[in-house]
Amino acid sequence: MSLRLRLLLMIGVSLSLLWGGVAIWTLRDLGAEMRLTLDQRLAMSAQMVAGLMSQNPAAWDGRGGKAGASALSMPPAGKGLACEVRSLRGEVFARTPGVTPEAITTAAPGFAEREIKGERWRTYTYEAHDLRITTADRMAERNTLLRDVMVAAVVPFIVALIGSLMVLWLGVRSGLVPLERLRQALASRAPDALTPIPDSPMPRELQPLVNTLNQLLERMSVTISRERRFTSDAAHELRTPLTAIKTHLQVARITRGKEAEVALDYAEEGAARLQHTLEQLLTLSQVEGPFSWDDGRIARADEVARLAIRDAAPDAPERIVLESDGNPAELVLPQALAVTALRNLLDNALRQSPAKNSVRLELQSSKDAICFRVCDRGPGLSAEELALVTHRFWRRGSGRGSGLGLSIVAAITERFGGSLELAQRPEGGLEAKLTLPRAKQACSN
Amino acid sequence: MRVLLVEDDELIAHGILAGLRARGLTVDGVATAAQAEVMLSAVHCDVVILDLGLPDEDGMSLLQRLRAGGMALPVLVLTARDAVEDRVAGLRAGADDYLLKPFDLDELVARLHALLRRAAGRSVDVIEHGPLRLCPESGEVTLHGRAVVLSRRELALLAALLHARGRILSADQLKDSLYDFSEEIESNALNVHIHHLRRKLGADIIETVRGVGYRFSMVSA
Repeated sequence: MSLRLRLLLMIGVSLSLLWGGVAIWTLRDLGAEMRLTLDQRLAMSAQMVAGLMSQNPAAWDGRGGKAGASALSMPPAGKGLACEVRSLRGEVFARTPGVTPEAITTAAPGFAEREIKGERWRTYTYEAHDLRITTADRMAERNTLLRDVMVAAVVPFIVALIGSLMVLWLGVRSGLVPLERLRQALASRAPDALTPIPDSPMPRELQPLVNTLNQLLERMSVTISRERRFTSDAAHELRTPLTAIKTHLQVARITRGKEAEVALDYAEEGAARLQHTLEQLLTLSQVEGPFSWDDGRIARADEVARLAIRDAAPDAPERIVLESDGNPAELVLPQALAVTALRNLLDNALRQSPAKNSVRLELQSSKDAICFRVCDRGPGLSAEELALVTHRFWRRGSGRGSGLGLSIVAAITERFGGSLELAQRPEGGLEAKLTLPRAKQACSN
Repeated sequence: MRVLLVEDDELIAHGILAGLRARGLTVDGVATAAQAEVMLSAVHCDVVILDLGLPDEDGMSLLQRLRAGGMALPVLVLTARDAVEDRVAGLRAGADDYLLKPFDLDELVARLHALLRRAAGRSVDVIEHGPLRLCPESGEVTLHGRAVVLSRRELALLAALLHARGRILSADQLKDSLYDFSEEIESNALNVHIHHLRRKLGADIIETVRGVGYRFSMVSA
């Protein structure tokens, strides 16, 4: 349901109900009040006649004049009203014309309602000074009067209600114009436009919405440009070894003997590099992706160190010197990932160190974390380079690595709540400190 | 034709050097922008192959600097970045051609020849001089319609002299066209090649300008 329709219905229905309720209440009160007023007037007329009669009793008591019925003359417009004056014995002294003899007088004083010649009358009988005076109102007249009063009260009311509903409709429509303008601005944007929504004058209520939208757009634009850069970098990284392979294969085809053999060797080296880059890329996307890594194996720190050393230097494990505090701590992350992270650090250290120098791997366990410290004697990194090392595809100069190793380590530590710190060693070389959280049950043991 | 290859990836550089040499081109390879500048100022090159991702400087800014410094050599940019903006930026920075990695060696050679041809102001890939016809890319030479078989060096020497259009080329300039820095040159190697050319194409085809160098003889035309 549209916002406008909802607003209109909500306000319109409650407005109508409220005013309708007030109207019914008012009309009921008005009707009762009218009836009461008319009754009072009926009674007052009877009393007035009685008062007039008592001022000249000789005119009607038979002593001074002739008794007999006399007709009161009434204007034709007054035919809704009737009056009759009798003695207590029942003789009629006076009555309005058109009223039948059996007429309107009742035995009991007070108000009564009855039917005379097919018409309903409201009567009031008053007794005073040996006289019985009855006044009567034709009910049809009364009802007409009542209806006229009701109509006169209700019509302006209905007009006002319709008018306010129309004003409401106009108000809601113009009140929602900024929203509609915003909708149009959004609808007219190109599907890939990520620029913020222009800062046009806007109601205070919409400003937070626009701000949130703009923040979202900005975050999206940052993410998309980062992904785009990553794709472009990945394409570059994959094309480079592919180019080497292709070029050397073509050289092998157009040359002979030793040259062709060398070219094939180079092509193979290119293929190995391509494979390494692909594997690193896959690892990175898996670590950053939503996949579960749990291989059901408990990663023990010393086992992780042993496997990482084996993977990093299969031909010369003596180049890595392991110093462990011997605490058989268990890690919170899957073994395969812990080995991958440590192995990438060892790879870098070995690559940066002169061939004859060794790399030191220290293992320290604390209460809730294990720290792997990899120290090399290579050239180390400058402060600017340290800031860049975990960027994907960054590598020093034209280094041989995939440029993804430290990105992978960073992604693993981020996913499992560890940390990676790189620092220049005072005595030269680089120290990489990988801290991984310990498994909970290992702590309690 | 002498080519300067500026490529920092060792593996690719090896491949291109070996491939272009096998195709009869004289190629030198350098890995950094600084080396490229030294090389360009020291040696006569005909065309430059430039990789954009160099370790010491972006290839694009090197190219801009070289162009600003008045270097007019044709430059072929080699890169793994395929976005249109990259290509446009490369061409704007002064590149003459753009080749995306991975490429075909034959295509690279063909593009280098095309660049050289355009730089020399020719529109077809055949240099004709009187009865002599040379197709630099395929290495086919005919004299009076008969095919003449020339060695790689002789071909390079002939092409260099023909490109010069009668200008005198010094012995060093000719050697630059024949040998890259990785090759040992014997002292009389150039003389030997000139001797062979004269034997195969006629004694008066190359004129020796004493104390200056050599030039392609216009008389034989």
